[in-house]
Amino acid sequence: MTEAVADTKALALRFSTKTALTHAVLILGALIVLLPFYTMLSLSLKAPAEIMQQTGGFIGTQAPFRDDYCIKLGKEVADCMVNPIAYNYSTAFEKAPLLRYLLNGVVVTVSIFFIQVVVALPCAYALAKLRFWGREFVFTLVLFCLLIPVHAIALPLYIMLAKVGLTNTYAALIIPWTISVFGIFLMRQFFMTVPDDLIDAARMDGMSEYAIIWRVMLPTAIPALMAFGIFSVVAHWNDYFWPRIVITGNRDLFTPPLGLREFKGDADGDNFGPMMATACIIVTPLIVCFLLAQRRFIEGITLSGMK
Amino acid sequence: MIKSHAHIWFIGPALVLMTVILLIPILIAMGLSVTDYSLGNMGAEFVGFENYEKIFTRSAYEKMFGATFRYVFVVVPLTVGLGLGSALLIHSLGRFGDIYKTIYFLPVMAALIAMAIVWEFAFHPTIGVINSTLERGCGTWLELWTWYAKGCERSFPLWLQDRDYAIWTVSFIGVWQGFGFNMVLYLAGLTSIPRSLYDAAEMDGAKRGWDRFRLVTWPLLGPTTVFVVTISFIRSFQVFDMVEAFYPQGGGPSKSVFVMMFAIYEKGIQQNLMGIGAAITVVFLAFVMVLTLIQRWLVERRTHYA
Repeated sequence: MTEAVADTKALALRFSTKTALTHAVLILGALIVLLPFYTMLSLSLKAPAEIMQQTGGFIGTQAPFRDDYCIKLGKEVADCMVNPIAYNYSTAFEKAPLLRYLLNGVVVTVSIFFIQVVVALPCAYALAKLRFWGREFVFTLVLFCLLIPVHAIALPLYIMLAKVGLTNTYAALIIPWTISVFGIFLMRQFFMTVPDDLIDAARMDGMSEYAIIWRVMLPTAIPALMAFGIFSVVAHWNDYFWPRIVITGNRDLFTPPLGLREFKGDADGDNFGPMMATACIIVTPLIVCFLLAQRRFIEGITLSGMK
Repeated sequence: MIKSHAHIWFIGPALVLMTVILLIPILIAMGLSVTDYSLGNMGAEFVGFENYEKIFTRSAYEKMFGATFRYVFVVVPLTVGLGLGSALLIHSLGRFGDIYKTIYFLPVMAALIAMAIVWEFAFHPTIGVINSTLERGCGTWLELWTWYAKGCERSFPLWLQDRDYAIWTVSFIGVWQGFGFNMVLYLAGLTSIPRSLYDAAEMDGAKRGWDRFRLVTWPLLGPTTVFVVTISFIRSFQVFDMVEAFYPQGGGPSKSVFVMMFAIYEKGIQQNLMGIGAAITVVFLAFVMVLTLIQRWLVERRTHYA
């Protein structure tokens, strides 16, 4: 009896030390993972002098400092004293049309997702629920295209767009992503699980095939579509490579990552406060959405794991 | 089954776009890779396999393969290993592990270009947090480590601007960014392993944690591992954002970070040498296809013997 008690005690002790050790390792990892986020936020709050001398801890002293650019404009020194946070964030918006960049980002990601769905959904429905000559061939083609990373064929795509004079347009940012073979594949797998009876009943009611897709299949596919949407929006909001290639110089078409890169490339590239403020503003929307709907996001991003 | 031609309208747009956006560019790349085409020039000369010959003989491209493979062979094992390790630890904690899952996944969500700029600051030799933290350790027992003592005596590495460290520093950032993705895939794999299998293994004498891992967890995670490894390869082959942000020209200190995607960008877009850019594209596609075929072969072999 006492032995058994001692045993469980030893076991509990072993478990608790093991758990503590696990937590220790994971916390160490978490610190390294969070370090750049901490740095980014902290620098976006501090004054230039504090950044250069590495003083002031996380948020700095928040003492007003003299904005040299404002002095150059010929204003009084007293009018040129600014608060670091206000200075960093207002400079982020004033130096570059950051709002325009954010708007471009929204326009591009939303258009891409919308077109991807309009193209992929009917195709997925036909592959899953209609029988026709050549279906196997089309599906094999979809499987083959899954192998092609679109970034890798950027050069020929760029040449094609340049030949038709579409570089430096919204169209150039959107067109290569209008076809998502992954979306077709995913939706097809999902539609396979929808019972045929549902579709037959809809046909009995005299619904056309178009109506079936948008009024019967679409509503059943909402969860899968949400996951795919998250996958698509995250990928294209953060994409840097493709915009870098097709948008050259025309600031009005910059997406947020390009805007940030431009900031760094400028002569002002060592003005870290406003640059980090820009970085914060670009990263925050997705991070906030992620924290609010974690499970959906993780499902969406790891969707590609279902292949 | 009602006879209709609706499917043509359903399949049509997707088929056309697939052909124009995905298949034709591959053919164009193959075609251009045997020419000296450049945008804006009338026509192009057929040059045979000259471009490929350059890729496999010139020292600049030797550096390109060196940088790409260094990056890939650091990032893939580490992101897979850390992904699996953190997934196992988090899984063992039950729901208390969720907070770590959230944190480790953050880098996957954040725009890499933004985080790369932050890391560049952190690795800054004079005002960066990394070197200033290292300097604080000087004069302590850490100096027993010769590398550390040397750093204290002269100076710590310049990291991103240091020929010997640049590619490893970039790889570190790649690992930081990517392992959370693999962790989530492994967590999904772990939750699908039935509890009863562990009980059975324990009854068969697998008392130690390591035995249970070796006999149950690892084999059952096989399909997940094959997938995670493949996708890590494909993702790390495509590294570009960081390299372009750190080294807009030339691919880093003495071209030590001249990775393939950057080479395609530099040759094709910056220098308008489409022929050689297309040849690198074709080699790149070949790598990706071979990797995916190996994956499919592994998956099929497993299903035959399982």
